[in-house]
Amino acid sequence: MRPILAVALALALTALLIVAAGKNPLLAYAALGRGALGSWDRIGVALNKATPYVLTGVGVTLCFRARVINIGGEGQIALGGLAATWIALTFPQAPPIVLPLLALAAGALTGAAWAALAAAIRLHRGVHEVLVTLLLNFVGVLIVSEALQGTLGEPGAGFPQSPLLPRASWLPRVLPGSDLHGGILIAVVAVVLAHVLLWRMPFGFRLRVLGASAPAAVYAGISPSRTFFGVMSLAGALAGLAGAVEVLGVHYRLIDGFSHGFGFNAVAIALLGALNPITVLPAGLFFGFLETGALAMQRAVGVPSPLVAVIQGLTMIFILSAMGLSARRSRV
Amino acid sequence: MDAAAELLAAALRIATPLLFAALGGILSERAGVFAVGLEGMMLAGAFSGLIATHALGHAGLGLIASVVGGALLAVVVAFATVRCYADQMVTGLAVNILALGLTSFLFRGLFARGEAPTIRVTPLTQIPIPVLGDIPVVGPLLFRQPVLTYVGLVLVFVMLVTLQRTRAGLILRATGENPTATFASGADPVHVRFVAVIGAGALAGLGGAVLSLQQVGTFTDGMTNGRGYLALAAIIVGRWSPPGALVSCLLFGATDALQLRIQGLRLPFSSYVIQMLPYVVSLAVLAGLGRGARLPAAIGMPFFREPR
Repeated sequence: MRPILAVALALALTALLIVAAGKNPLLAYAALGRGALGSWDRIGVALNKATPYVLTGVGVTLCFRARVINIGGEGQIALGGLAATWIALTFPQAPPIVLPLLALAAGALTGAAWAALAAAIRLHRGVHEVLVTLLLNFVGVLIVSEALQGTLGEPGAGFPQSPLLPRASWLPRVLPGSDLHGGILIAVVAVVLAHVLLWRMPFGFRLRVLGASAPAAVYAGISPSRTFFGVMSLAGALAGLAGAVEVLGVHYRLIDGFSHGFGFNAVAIALLGALNPITVLPAGLFFGFLETGALAMQRAVGVPSPLVAVIQGLTMIFILSAMGLSARRSRV
Repeated sequence: MDAAAELLAAALRIATPLLFAALGGILSERAGVFAVGLEGMMLAGAFSGLIATHALGHAGLGLIASVVGGALLAVVVAFATVRCYADQMVTGLAVNILALGLTSFLFRGLFARGEAPTIRVTPLTQIPIPVLGDIPVVGPLLFRQPVLTYVGLVLVFVMLVTLQRTRAGLILRATGENPTATFASGADPVHVRFVAVIGAGALAGLGGAVLSLQQVGTFTDGMTNGRGYLALAAIIVGRWSPPGALVSCLLFGATDALQLRIQGLRLPFSSYVIQMLPYVVSLAVLAGLGRGARLPAAIGMPFFREPR
């Protein structure tokens, strides 16, 4: 209920902004809706946009459940995309089904390794994970830039990007008449698996105990550091997978800065999804539809598309404040 | 001017916006509130400063507007984190997203267009200090700067003295270490944190003004481009002290200046590797300090007035 209220409040506040800009908010929101849902093609674009958000958001959700503030999605996504690109370009002769699977696995592994590095620095050197993951984001994105400047770059492209990946590595389209690729199915599977993991498996139980109380976790024989390392790696794998999916399904090449803002949006989506894997799916779809509809709204009624970021930011602040207040109440 | 002095001058120029944000961040973090929202506060300041200068035709009013812009966004942070006990880190991220959206939206919306307008104002000019400005090498470096660079350097000293030698500074630091004890001694941590966070927003707003009014003379979407996060790193590397932050900002400025200058050289790696240095150095410093890193003890913890 809380997330819906937060979204409603954010939409109401941004409606005032639209009025201030001299436009009709109802017309603007209607144009936004049409731009996101108006045709199969638009729906496909929106679902593609939502896919990396859902994947990364599920990982962040699991982390937050254990009170692990992993904001390293952006770097993990970037490196996942890099690894997938490298596999696709290095083994172009691999059979069509093997190649994308191999590239996806490489993306997930690389994302997991990057997150595991952050976890190791946290556990062995005691540096707060927010700072580590934040700093590693910049390094990860720069590693991608460096690779595109060097061995992986397309010579003479004029823009830092890789050559087009071999067709065999592309994710298949799943909805005729649209660009929707198979990534959304991967995201749905990830959501279901994360749900089972969190609520039905021992590891999920350990996560929740650790999040509820670290001393209780230790008392129950749960190792906080192993749980920490595990959940970080898992979230990193999901983010890396998201990066690979984005590269193999949308761009068919690695583009400098393709992951920009994804990691932070994933945090917003995890919160909007009330830290529950199942509800992260609609939250991610909501963001995907918002961003897809925004440009259509700008074209149709002249309301600038950055309005969407205002809606996203306000929604996050409302949910965070409500969470803080209710934690306070349950504490008393 | 020889190459070294030129490099230093460039380092100082790049460091100045970071310095303001870092000083603001120190205020906030020493009072116990993580300053992840610096990026958004800088952006708000860069935007409001430029718009006000353009609309009112006066750079002084523009600077005031940038302070107000940064501070207004900080009010949101303060209200959410201090009054509503929202998670400080994630709230910081949220206001950064909010600021990026709001400034880009208003920039277009205020001028009733879908596309971003181009607005140019005259950048703040250099003010050479007589006599001192004529000293060879050091003179042009330190004493022929635009006004905000002087302000930033003076602020380092002012903040150091305020934090370490005044009652207000003591209360601020105590709030970041042990708000319950501070409350018992008669000061109100909620009040202190509100003021500290809003002060951080004001300073970071000025840092944004350095970008938009002093260096570029225009506004572009997301023009802070991660500088707020870099300032956050500078605070850590400088171990939460104003002079330390100055040194680390200069260090980051120097790597950036160096990075621009070696692009022409034939090196086995591109300039991106140099660009990583500030982040890797920050990580190394943090990891090196390890558990000895003296974060303000109560940073990140909400303070409840009533006993639990």
